[in-house]
Amino acid sequence: MKLAAATVYAVDIPFTETFTHSAQVRRACDSVVVRVVNEEGVAGFGEGAPRPYVTGETPDSVLKHLVGDVWPSLAGTELPNPVEDGLAAFDAVIPETTVAGVIAPNAARCALELATLDCALRSTGASVALLIPARRSTLTYGGVITAGDDEAAARRASQMRSVGLDHVKLKVGTGNDVERVRAVREALGPDVSLRLDANGGWDLEQALTVLNAVAPFGIDVVEQPLPRHALADLKALRQECAVPVMADESLVTLEDAEMLLSAEAVDMFNIRVSKCGGLFRSTEMVRLAAQAGVGVQVGSQVGETAILSAAGRHLAAWAPELAFVEGSYGTLLLAEDVSVEPVRFGHRGRASVLTGPGLGIEVVEERLRRYAKRVVELLAEKTRP
Amino acid sequence: MATERGSANDGAMRTTIEAAFTAQVDELTSSPPFRRLESGEASAKEYDRFIANLIRTHARSPQLVAFLYALAPPDAREDVLHNLLEELGIEDESGEPHPEMLKDLAASAGLYGVLPELERLATEDLRAIASQPLLYATLKEVGLAALCEVVAFEYMLSRVASRIEAALETHRGLPPQALRWFHHHSEVDIAHAEQGLRHIDDYVRYYGLAEAEAQGIIELTLQENVFVRRYFAQVSPTTPSAT
Repeated sequence: MKLAAATVYAVDIPFTETFTHSAQVRRACDSVVVRVVNEEGVAGFGEGAPRPYVTGETPDSVLKHLVGDVWPSLAGTELPNPVEDGLAAFDAVIPETTVAGVIAPNAARCALELATLDCALRSTGASVALLIPARRSTLTYGGVITAGDDEAAARRASQMRSVGLDHVKLKVGTGNDVERVRAVREALGPDVSLRLDANGGWDLEQALTVLNAVAPFGIDVVEQPLPRHALADLKALRQECAVPVMADESLVTLEDAEMLLSAEAVDMFNIRVSKCGGLFRSTEMVRLAAQAGVGVQVGSQVGETAILSAAGRHLAAWAPELAFVEGSYGTLLLAEDVSVEPVRFGHRGRASVLTGPGLGIEVVEERLRRYAKRVVELLAEKTRP
Repeated sequence: MATERGSANDGAMRTTIEAAFTAQVDELTSSPPFRRLESGEASAKEYDRFIANLIRTHARSPQLVAFLYALAPPDAREDVLHNLLEELGIEDESGEPHPEMLKDLAASAGLYGVLPELERLATEDLRAIASQPLLYATLKEVGLAALCEVVAFEYMLSRVASRIEAALETHRGLPPQALRWFHHHSEVDIAHAEQGLRHIDDYVRYYGLAEAEAQGIIELTLQENVFVRRYFAQVSPTTPSAT
């Protein structure tokens, strides 16, 4: 079945609150959502969440890349058969491209991969779980405490405790981190797992100083303590610090994964579907991590819609070993989400695997239109060279 | 008729809640879109979007009050039933269901064509509330969160509705008759807001919620500014869909 048309939405869905960390202040979801339609009129939806400080992409660059570089070579293409060809075929059908100043155009790739996968699976009535079968029926999501003053962080920690979350991640790297961690640990109590995320905001010396000081508070792992390219320092930190180290911004491509593993620089990977270029490449990273005995967190993009949350849930349900899972915040963060059935987690962070066709959600296109900053309609005939 | 109740702890919680409500009202009235509405700087489209969002927010109020009635503790049940009947126009001095007043507002603002869509979205919003996985372990916590949000709106409207009414009359040219929903929820309705604050105390006591637990739920409910979210953050249509 060939791809007949696509619609690209650059959306702007306000957050219910500002989300801040050491690298960014975010007030709205600025994802790029792609809707593809095959010759039979079956539609599929995918989403990419461009982050300049992660892959180097912006919503404008993703839109331009999808419309100008990728769609012309994809339009009219025969979609893979999910049952016969498997997940890899959906990655292979998208051309390898580069964009100046971008580490990897992974948000764009992710949006298209998910859309074509969703479309092909829907046309057969099958779920993504056909390709990456769930190993667990329920997932336990954690909460994230944004950067901000210590009092607000502690208050938010208490709220997370009141809804029974077992895992909490705290953004650090913006002020007096030791006092911040102390305040949050006191509010959470001793039983809740606490992780830190510096978003690359420290250097080696700062990281060692802070982490050695906060280790007694019981920190399960620190995410991206150092900037993306500080591979040698990451390894040194891992050797000298009692707190395990997780790669996030350092882990964008499969080559990054291989480098991190061969350097033995980290204990865990944070694998996010958009950042890593779609479901197939994310599963490859999970496999590499498993082979090397490195732990896996299935992370999320702050402010992602139900589309990326659904993809992340399938990945997390499939991952052989899963330490932590994030995302599925839905309307806890977005003024309005885009699916009929909410994907948000419930009490104690629990959420069931999705079993419906495709990604397992029904996207309300009218909502995409209402929140769209830009809409680009693409037809196979008009865009083919 | 409600009687005086409460303990020292109830008083402390009430003070905290009232402070949170006041802060949210201040945040709403000092927000740029609200100031633009009041000053007349807003465009016609902004006024229309505000009216559309307001109609969508309150079109299904009777259903929400009915939910609160189902969970109301015995001491508050009569008051909540009265509120529900007022919403339905049965015990209201006007004898008019409040959603009907919103329909008139839509018609006067030239939004009648989009009213079915706004009502559909309001119904969808209710469905989404019912479909969301529960953040809390039991219905008593969910009920407290819902009660807190409804009382927050009553509190806000009793202090701000007449300002909105004046802004829409002056800058959007709507006649007083079309704005009677605001009149019914304005300062004349301050008793409802007071009653609502008492009901939160009643509720917490009846269901045996620990003070810290109740505070946590209330803080989580009020972590975002529900007024800004409903009136300005969501995007409701102001023209009929082309499809």
